[in-house]
Amino acid sequence: MIKFKVTESENISTVFLDGEIDMDVADNVREVVFPLIDSGKEVHLNLKGVQYMDSSGISVIVESNQRAKEKNTKVELKEVSQPVEKVLAMARKFL
Amino acid sequence: MSTEVADTTNLSEKKDFLVNSSSLKDVRSFSREVFEKFKINEELREELVLAIAEAAQNIVKHAYKDYPDTQDRMAVRISCTDKELEISFFDKGKPVEKSKVKHRAIDDVKPGGLGTFFIQEIMDSIKFKEGDKPWINNLVLTKKL
Repeated sequence: MIKFKVTESENISTVFLDGEIDMDVADNVREVVFPLIDSGKEVHLNLKGVQYMDSSGISVIVESNQRAKEKNTKVELKEVSQPVEKVLAMARKFL
Repeated sequence: MSTEVADTTNLSEKKDFLVNSSSLKDVRSFSREVFEKFKINEELREELVLAIAEAAQNIVKHAYKDYPDTQDRMAVRISCTDKELEISFFDKGKPVEKSKVKHRAIDDVKPGGLGTFFIQEIMDSIKFKEGDKPWINNLVLTKKL
């Protein structure tokens, strides 16, 4: 299960994610994050509360980056938790 | 969860799960519980949990690609000696075409295809076997301890 909280400031939307990101919830993350990117805002994904992420989560990040480029905006990862940092390190050559 | 063998040098536990993405968290919980029992250190434990979850995800995504509402079950068996860990997956889905099981090219920047790469990074060996009846596929991952 994954929980979301979205905060807005000027031109930045910050999505606080809390839980585990796997194939089962990846579409829920897309449903929250993609519309924010599509609105043209800069999107920050706060991953402090994400204790597990697998390749499905990496896919969401890659897709978000690609989508942001198309919309001339950007996605940044903030406060990445240690478990997620390890997965990102493994996936870095693909990012 | 069934304990097949339980002495101090050869431990083995097996559990089956509905083939569905909502089972993946249960696969992770089972794996963490077993690794804790096997006294695998936490850092390695989380890497192994990731490899197991990716392999289980591949069964849901690929072996059962055309059957999202299946009621079939897959089984995961974790066995440990003092020198090696063996993790076996059993499913009754579409037979795996070994030639198609590879991670994508590193310069191919698109989502997906990372699961197999993670498994290869974490484990020492990956072998696909034909499963003994009633199973169709039997994936075996090993890691020296």
